[in-house]
Amino acid sequence: MNDEKRDVGQGGSDVLGPTYEAGKPDAPDDWRKKLRSREEMLGYLKTACRYWYSDDWYGSERRKTRA
Amino acid sequence: MADEKRKSIDPAVLTLVEKAAADEVMLCWDRLDEQSPQCGYGIAGVCCRNCAMGPCQINPFGDAPQKGVCGVDAETIAARNFLRSIAAGAAAHSDHARAVVEAFIRTADGEIPGFEIKDEQKLLSLAMDLGVSIEGKDTAAVAKEVGKTLREQFGRQDGELAFIAKAPIKRQELWRAQGIVPRGIDREIVECMHRTHIGVDQDYKNLMKQASRTALADGWGGSMIATELQDVLFGNPVPIVGSVNLGILEPDQVNIIVHGHEPLLSEMVVAASRDKELLALAKEKGAAGINIGGICCTANEILMRHGIPVAGNFLQQEVAVVSGAVDAMIVDVQCTLQSLTDVAGCYHTALITTNPKARFFGARHLEFDEANPLVAAREIVTIAVENFPNRKRKVVIPTDNKTDMVAGFSHETINYILGGLFRGSYRPLNDNIINGRIRGIAGVVGCNNAKVTHDEHHVTLVKELIANDVLVLQTGCSAVACAKEGLLVPEAATRYAGPGLAEVCEAVGMPPVLHMGSCVDNSRILMAATAVVKEGGLGDDISDLPCAGAAPEWMSEKALSIGHYFVASGIFTVFGVTWPTLGAKHLTEYLFSGIEEELGGKWAFETDPVKTARLMIDHIDQKRHKLGIDKARERVLYDMEKRRELET
Repeated sequence: MNDEKRDVGQGGSDVLGPTYEAGKPDAPDDWRKKLRSREEMLGYLKTACRYWYSDDWYGSERRKTRA
Repeated sequence: MADEKRKSIDPAVLTLVEKAAADEVMLCWDRLDEQSPQCGYGIAGVCCRNCAMGPCQINPFGDAPQKGVCGVDAETIAARNFLRSIAAGAAAHSDHARAVVEAFIRTADGEIPGFEIKDEQKLLSLAMDLGVSIEGKDTAAVAKEVGKTLREQFGRQDGELAFIAKAPIKRQELWRAQGIVPRGIDREIVECMHRTHIGVDQDYKNLMKQASRTALADGWGGSMIATELQDVLFGNPVPIVGSVNLGILEPDQVNIIVHGHEPLLSEMVVAASRDKELLALAKEKGAAGINIGGICCTANEILMRHGIPVAGNFLQQEVAVVSGAVDAMIVDVQCTLQSLTDVAGCYHTALITTNPKARFFGARHLEFDEANPLVAAREIVTIAVENFPNRKRKVVIPTDNKTDMVAGFSHETINYILGGLFRGSYRPLNDNIINGRIRGIAGVVGCNNAKVTHDEHHVTLVKELIANDVLVLQTGCSAVACAKEGLLVPEAATRYAGPGLAEVCEAVGMPPVLHMGSCVDNSRILMAATAVVKEGGLGDDISDLPCAGAAPEWMSEKALSIGHYFVASGIFTVFGVTWPTLGAKHLTEYLFSGIEEELGGKWAFETDPVKTARLMIDHIDQKRHKLGIDKARERVLYDMEKRRELET
C-alpha cells in the first residue's frame, strides 16, 4: 500500500504499508539489560529520564521552579 | 436478552454461551435477566442506607419524597454514595499495593525464596524519588529502605504523598491551592467513611473535594506504589509478543487459569508450571504439557513479563470454565465472580482461592504463603495435573479464536523506543502531536459490563479514535478486548489508523494501541502524560494536553476511582453504560462541568461509543486550538538579524 493521506496539521503524509520483515521475534527486546552497572543505570536516569532525575534539565519546566 | 449475539462481539464467547445453555449452566447474562428491571433509585444514586432510619430514597423526578428521614437531599446522598465507591476503589488498589510492599520488604530481607530484585534501575529511580541515599549501599539495603519508606505512605498523618512530586509542577501547585493533596492513603480512605456517616459532611462540593483527594491517593499513591514495586520485583515491562482469547486453551494439555489482580502467586505458578517433575507428572497423567492462561489483570501482569497467553477479560471467566478444558482456576482478589463455584461445580474444574481476604464458600483454599510461595504454587499445579484425567463433559475450545498482540509498553519503554539508549525522549511524540500527525492521546481503560455487549464499546471506541489519528493507551480488560480484535499489533496501524498516526507507527514500529498493563498500571498513563508535559511544547500541565480518557464498559468501584484521579489530574474522562449520580442534578452538573474550573478535568457520560469518540476528539481539538497547534503554520527560519530582534 502506498497511500498519500492528509493529516491534521501539515498536509500530505506518505503511508508506506508493511516494509518490515515478516515473522515474530523469538524473545522480547529487553533494552534494560543493556544497562549493566549502577553507574550506567544512574547515567541513563539522569539523561533519558531527565524529566524527573536530572539536576539541570527539566524540559518545559526548565526555567521554572524546580520540582 | 433475546438476541444471543448481543451478549458479546467475541465469537469465542458466543460459542461457549451456547455450550453453557446446552449444559444448563447459568451465566452472568442470565442472572442480569433475572435481576431486571433493576432498582431505579439505585441506578440514579439516590438511595441512602447509611443509617437505620433508612433506607431512604429521593424521587429523581421532583415529586415527593425529596428528603430522607434525617433531611438529607439527593445531592448529598449521591455525593456520599459516589465518595464511598471511590474509597472502595482506592482501597482495593491500595491494599493490593500494601501486599506488594510487604512482599517487597521480605524479598529485600531475603525471606522469600524465588523472589528477587529483578530491576535495579527501577529501584534506583525509586530511591531518587524518595530521597533514599544509595551511597555505599548494596541493592538489598537500598530496597529495604525504599520498601520501608513506601510502607509509611499508607499511614502517614500529614504532609504530602511522595509521588505527588512526580506530577507536573503546575499540577502540584493546583492541588495545593485546592487543598486536595493526599496525606496518607489509609487516612484519606478512613476520612471518606467518616464524612459519609450520618450527620457529617452534607455539602456535595466538599464531599467531591475529598473524592479528589482520595482518588489522587490511589492514582499517585496506592496504584503507583503497586506498579513501581512490581516492576522492581518482576521487571519493568518491555514489548513482548503474546496471544489472546480462549483459543489459547490446549485440548491435550493441563490448562491452569490464573485470575485476579496480584501477580505475587501467579509469578510462582508460572515458575512451577516449568518444573521438570511436574511436567513429568503431567505426562504420566496423559497430558502433553502444562499450559497457563490468564484472566483479568493477573493476565496482563504475567503477559507483559513472561508472554503468558491471555484467556480473556472479566466477562470471560465463566465461559472459560464452560469450555470443560480448565483443570484448575486460581483466584486471588478483585473481579472474581462468586458464581465461579457454581460453574466450576458443573465441570471438573478445581477452583482454588489463595488470598485470606478473598475466600469463596465451596472453593478449595490454599493460602499463599509468602515465606515459601513456590510450595503453594507447586501444590496448585499438582492439583491441576491430578485433575486432568477428570474432564467429564465435552470439551469445546474455540481454537480459531486466538489473536497475536504486543504488550509491555511501560512509560520507560516508550521513552526508550522513541529516543534510544543514549537520549531516551518523548520529543518525537510531542513533535508529532504538534505537527498534527498524531491528533492527541487517549487512555481507554476499564472493565466489561454485562449490561452492554461484551467488548463492543471498547473496540468501537478505540477503532474510531485511531482512525482519527488519536494514539490510544490501554490497560486492563479494555486492552484485552482490543487485543482480541487485532488492534495491538503494528500491522493494525496500516489497517485501522488514520494517515498521520499510521505514518508514525510505521516509523517507530509500534501498534496504534499501546498495552500499558493492568488496572493499577493506569498510573503509567499518568507518568506518560507527565513526561509529555515536561518534554515541552504542549503546555505546562496535563490539563493543557490534547488528551482524554474513557471507560466505556466500566462496572467496578475501582474504575470510578481511576476515572476520578484522571479528572483530578486534569483529564477529560468519559464513562459509558450508566452514571451513578444522575438522580442528583446539581452534583451531576458539577462533575460534568463546574469541577473543570477547579481541576482542569471533568467527567462526561455517554452510552454510544461512536459519540464517546466524538466527545473525546472534540475535546482534543479544543485543546489543540488553545495550544495554537490546530492549524498548519508557515515555517520561518530565523537568521541572526531576526534573532537579535527577538532578543531585544
